[in-house]
Amino acid sequence: MTHEALRELLPAYALDALTAEEAREVRAHLETCDRCPGELALLQETATRLAGAPVQVPPPPQLREQILAAVRPQPSVVTIPRGWAIGLAAAAAAVIVVAALTAARFGQQVAQLQQRIAAQEQVLAILAGPTAQTSVLAGSIEAGVKFVYDRTRGQGALVVTDLQDPGRQSVYQLWLVAGAVPESAGVFRPAPGRPLVIPVRADFTRYQAVAISIERAPFGAAQPTTTPILVGRI
Amino acid sequence: MRPAQLAASEELEDRQLLARIARRDSRAFEVLYDRYGRPVYSLAMGMLRDAGGAQEVTQEVFLSIWRQAAEFDPSRGSARSWLLALAHHKAVDAVRRGRMRAAEPLQETKTSDLDVVDEALRRVEQGRVREALVRLPAEQREAIVLAYYGGYTHQEIAGRLGIPLGTAKTRIRDGMIRLRGTLAGVKEVAP
Repeated sequence: MTHEALRELLPAYALDALTAEEAREVRAHLETCDRCPGELALLQETATRLAGAPVQVPPPPQLREQILAAVRPQPSVVTIPRGWAIGLAAAAAAVIVVAALTAARFGQQVAQLQQRIAAQEQVLAILAGPTAQTSVLAGSIEAGVKFVYDRTRGQGALVVTDLQDPGRQSVYQLWLVAGAVPESAGVFRPAPGRPLVIPVRADFTRYQAVAISIERAPFGAAQPTTTPILVGRI
Repeated sequence: MRPAQLAASEELEDRQLLARIARRDSRAFEVLYDRYGRPVYSLAMGMLRDAGGAQEVTQEVFLSIWRQAAEFDPSRGSARSWLLALAHHKAVDAVRRGRMRAAEPLQETKTSDLDVVDEALRRVEQGRVREALVRLPAEQREAIVLAYYGGYTHQEIAGRLGIPLGTAKTRIRDGMIRLRGTLAGVKEVAP
């Protein structure tokens, strides 16, 4: 296409009203033309006025949380020096991040749903086993936190339904306690408005308790630096 | 401050926010969301008329900003313009995806196009933009509203209105030039 023909497409380009192929040609032309970019900028200012014109409605508050959570720095995997690693990427806090990115990248809510279902199924599978047990964590704060686990299969999960935000500088850290020695099982933040499920794989016959303490963000500590706020016997 | 100065200082702040976001500053991202979440969501709502779809678009827009903030070039226009163009682009993609899923018949009666235009105009509340649109000749207004708020390409508009492609292009071009003339010099204060 000639400069003149492409220039005539600029108004429709500013309105996103070209076919993908035409838009590509215009973009290529804009790279080399010294007049068209300036003209397009003016047309885009007009399009911007159209963009700002529809009835203004506030987006739902949980959308803000979801979007901001997706960009917050998060540790992805926590390795435990006992030879077993807890994929904290699978923890629901991270699941939301991954799901939000996935949904955005592929325009699918399906992935997000599947991840949430997978986490729920994992808990259900543990609960469905004949040897499954549940420990309700209690301590110095009001919270809804349970630990479900199956000794024979070595599978467990922390289920957080209600836990206040620890603040920007802090994270919660989960500990498995063997005798007097706590071992880190990863750090997490509660997900506002939705339950959080953190899968934990371990030999639960070795531990007598699970505990949660507040530690410094983002990576937590090698050993608890504060008194656990919640403890459950297992 | 006069509105023009206010707009200029907001533009400066927007540019700084985008520069910080390009350096992975999540606090700047939060401020930008609080500034633009509402207009982005409202544009998507106006075009999709579906809260779930509008939320998806808003999420896509902001995650794109997070990834692509470095691509913003101040010599090519304002930050506000860049942001809302990105939002419009994503909303158009969503409208077209939805239309493909619904397998909407390509040819519809002219009445339904007028409904689309009327409906879109009803949703335009910003006084000066509404007035500028209303003052356009009807066929230019129809072409611009179908293109911008309806997410139709100029070829689809020609097909729907039963006019040659060249005529559709001319209506869009003349309408945009006239709109630009009407709106130039009457700057609104950014929401």
